[in-house]
Amino acid sequence: MTTVTEVGAPGPAPVPLPAETRGDHRGSWIPTWGMVTTRCMELRRRRGLMIALIAVNIGIPVVFLSVRLISHAVAPRSYGPAGGYSIFTTLVAGFMYVFGFVVAAVVGCTAGSTDLTEGMFRHLVITGRSRLALYFARIPAGLAIVIAMVAVGYTIVCAVCVFAAPTQLNYDGVNVPVGLSQPALHSWAAAHADEVICDFNFHGGAGLNGPPPNVSCGGQLNGPPPGTVIQQKGGGTFTVPAAESPAQIRAFAVTVANQDYADYHSQFLVPSTTLMVDVGLWIALEATIGFLVGLGLSSLMGQRTVAVILLIVLELILTPIFSRHIILHLLNVQRGIVGVAMAHIEPGGLPTPFSGGGGGGGDPLIPASTLASSLVIVGWIVFWTAIGAWRMRTRDA
Amino acid sequence: MTTATVTDSPPGQRGESEWAVETHGLTKRFESNVAVNDVELLVPRGCAFGYLGPNGAGKTTLIRVLLGLTHADAGTMFLLGHSVPRHRDVALARVGAIVDEPRFHGHLTGRQNLQILAAAREPAAKGRIDPVLERVGILHRANDKVSKYSMGMRQRLGVAACLLGDPQLLILDEPMNGLDPAGMLDMRDMILSLVAEGRTVVLSSHLLDEVERTCDAVAIVDRGKVIRQGPISQLLAGSSFEVQVQCSDPDRANSLLAATTFGAHVQAGPDGLAISLPEGTDRDAIAEINRLLVEGGISVFRLQHIQASLESWFLEVTKRLGEAE
Repeated sequence: MTTVTEVGAPGPAPVPLPAETRGDHRGSWIPTWGMVTTRCMELRRRRGLMIALIAVNIGIPVVFLSVRLISHAVAPRSYGPAGGYSIFTTLVAGFMYVFGFVVAAVVGCTAGSTDLTEGMFRHLVITGRSRLALYFARIPAGLAIVIAMVAVGYTIVCAVCVFAAPTQLNYDGVNVPVGLSQPALHSWAAAHADEVICDFNFHGGAGLNGPPPNVSCGGQLNGPPPGTVIQQKGGGTFTVPAAESPAQIRAFAVTVANQDYADYHSQFLVPSTTLMVDVGLWIALEATIGFLVGLGLSSLMGQRTVAVILLIVLELILTPIFSRHIILHLLNVQRGIVGVAMAHIEPGGLPTPFSGGGGGGGDPLIPASTLASSLVIVGWIVFWTAIGAWRMRTRDA
Repeated sequence: MTTATVTDSPPGQRGESEWAVETHGLTKRFESNVAVNDVELLVPRGCAFGYLGPNGAGKTTLIRVLLGLTHADAGTMFLLGHSVPRHRDVALARVGAIVDEPRFHGHLTGRQNLQILAAAREPAAKGRIDPVLERVGILHRANDKVSKYSMGMRQRLGVAACLLGDPQLLILDEPMNGLDPAGMLDMRDMILSLVAEGRTVVLSSHLLDEVERTCDAVAIVDRGKVIRQGPISQLLAGSSFEVQVQCSDPDRANSLLAATTFGAHVQAGPDGLAISLPEGTDRDAIAEINRLLVEGGISVFRLQHIQASLESWFLEVTKRLGEAE
């Protein structure tokens, strides 16, 4: 039994709560505007983080496009225009998509762990403010920075790709007017038969069993010399004529152009407004996911470095592997990776992510429906937000 | 002055509004280690209260439990009359605290750090930033990055953070750590001024001298358990004390004192005799010693009552506790 002696007469009443305190919803999980803005300020003042963020989202695309602009201005015959559809797709799918995620994840990991590692978490908890509100304040604050950076970088890319686009479509190395209808392309091919025969893709097929007619391609004949006997696949032989008539050559060029029309039609000088909007939203979603996953993971782990490394490994190593190589027993796990799901919902007209950007080559993506991919994305956002908030609520400060 | 027995005041019937801090059976375990052991603590409002204990006694853990930084395994607690953790948000609205070494975002200025904390408090807190910075004496460095602050300045910033909410209760964990003598004096004055404004300051420390100078009442904690608590003057009044005597014949004085029933322990030293009187001895014993020596024909040149310090009392109490175990 402990005996206590009072120091003095105790106060007569409980401490009244001041009026301004009663109205501040301190127990609510919704953060105040002031909490969001000060949290945003805290992140913005991290010089190293901001430099990295600007360098990746803005700096690298700007440098890349600037070099192309200057090169084209200095030697237009050697270097193509800085912008255009192909540059747009290469930059977006090959760079901004992947590294936008990584940088957003770094910001998320920073936002989720620094209060703890720098000793501010304790001060904040002592204010009596809901821990959930403290966590949720980081989301709009961090996204305001990440999305703004992505938007600036993306706007620059779009602007250059639109305003510095080529005036003619370079198709298979041949400058072709853009937007020709099929008959118009036929007419153009007949007028430029040599270029079409030399440079366009020739796929063989009905009526074209023989080699292309001999025309001069850069001073050399493009086919076997006249009089050569060629063994055909069907068993017969074909003797290369001494020379085709101009009409035959034009007819052959038209046929080749006809074969390539679908491919030609899919090429554009500038990305369309719809495509740019769709891709912008897609990149913003990818950055949002990177931020939220980083925030949740670092909040769970209580530190930044390991969380950042894990997310870099996920995005740069695991996702490219799992997006293309089917592992039978792990197929559903592969589908559950957020990067794979995001690749499935990419806007049409872009090369497949993780294929190196330009051509969309390599193996196709593992099969998954759009619905399943959408559910995976929502699942990742909800899961990591919930896990981060839960850890924030239960962590000892 | 009234006397209360904690165990006579069950939680449901206590006047919780009377106390700034009130705990009953508060317990916190870390696996097999009991860091806070069935603590019954009553901190009156409007005073400076010292929470004393050696390193590892569980002082900081108790504070962390009180502030909701970690959960309690058992017991009930009230801050300013509000049950914690049930009404934690209401209770902490008028509480400021420094726990352990105060740390902040080093890349931000002192003012920016306070802006973050003020945003988590009521809207009026934002308007208190400059006044509290001025009060703790770092307004002139408010726009410097905290990474450039000395330890003492960070302590001051920590106190400024406490004051943002215009608190009725301040809980300061080792606030003197890292302060130079002038800084300690400033901190002591600040604590006294806060108490003078009607606030309650709970001071956790192992610097007994500072606590004695600053606090009105103390609780002694050892191995997680509160072993004594009350006003310093009353706690020390019940402790043993010493009387120093300079006289003409120390040997004969020693013999005369040995024959009395005081239970005194006499030790001869260069300054004369040091007479230790046991706990509970009345102050009249000093006059009795003087009379005994004079009547014995011994000339008394100096007779001085040495009151036990908080430090000696603390060591005495904790030593006795160790011996009992």
